[in-house]
Amino acid sequence: MRSTLVLTLLCTTMLCACTIPYSTHHSIYQWADYDSLLYASFKDPAQSKDMLSALELHISKMEESKQKIAPGLYAELGTLYLQAGNIDKALTMYSNERTAWPESAVLMTTMMNTIKQGQLKSMVK
Amino acid sequence: MNKLIMICSAALFAVGLSGCAINQVAPKDMSAFTTAAPASILVVPIVNHSLDVDAPNYVLTTLPIPLAEKGYYVYPVNTVKVVLEQEGLYEGEAVQQQPTEKLAAMFGADAVLYVKINQWDAKYAVITTSVTVDFDYRMVSKNGVEIFNENKRVVYSPESNLDGSPLLVLIDAVVNSALARAKPNYMPLTREANAAVFNEGPNALPDGPYRRTRIN
Repeated sequence: MRSTLVLTLLCTTMLCACTIPYSTHHSIYQWADYDSLLYASFKDPAQSKDMLSALELHISKMEESKQKIAPGLYAELGTLYLQAGNIDKALTMYSNERTAWPESAVLMTTMMNTIKQGQLKSMVK
Repeated sequence: MNKLIMICSAALFAVGLSGCAINQVAPKDMSAFTTAAPASILVVPIVNHSLDVDAPNYVLTTLPIPLAEKGYYVYPVNTVKVVLEQEGLYEGEAVQQQPTEKLAAMFGADAVLYVKINQWDAKYAVITTSVTVDFDYRMVSKNGVEIFNENKRVVYSPESNLDGSPLLVLIDAVVNSALARAKPNYMPLTREANAAVFNEGPNALPDGPYRRTRIN
């Protein structure tokens, strides 16, 4: 009887073992539904307002609790500000992205310079 | 009775032993990737060879999270899209025809990820809707060397969350498929496909610098 139990336990362990590698990949950032929000705003540009306020709230919460902002989120919020015509806030967000993620320096510097030169006016919706 | 349990367990044990091995694929040579050792990945707009105009939206929006969670800096896909449009590049097709070196230099990226949708077919039935998708994932280093190449084919049908009586499950399935037809949500599908390509099996993407530093 005991051997049956042991064998059954062993089988269960083995069945579980196959799935473990997928579930132990714990996340290192918080995303606040970034993918769903972006999808919704692609489908319906009016939804980008919701994305803007959701990212605004998420970033302020993360900053309050001194947590690292996920790659790209400052920049995406910056672009939403830019499209809403809020140039100053856009510049701040691009600058924040550059500080948080050195890999973004080329793109962020280009964005900031282009905005300052007034060449991105066509992006303001 | 006990004997029967023993036999069944033994059979299950054998299945357990072979179960893991069935899905094993010979690992690919990742030396080009390791040599390039990218820290940042530029995900460019998707090439769509299916008839579903919405498919690229699902694929593009679900790519950044798993790649960033793998430890890479991922360029903000919407900002990138806006910049490319400023350059007159509106379609994934037009973007992906640009030389990798040029795209990488424009954004300062170590590598560029090109994703192509080969197939996205939804089959509508009474109870469930099933979707067959087929994606190509190809990553090229800023020097123009291919460092990752994977294909993913997934057959997906929205699942029922109820595990009660068969009738309840049936009702739920009908409601689910009616809802899915009215407002389909394929985010779980593309999330699953991307996660499988980047995280699972012997050909998974190696961990990037941010996952390594965070975990150690």
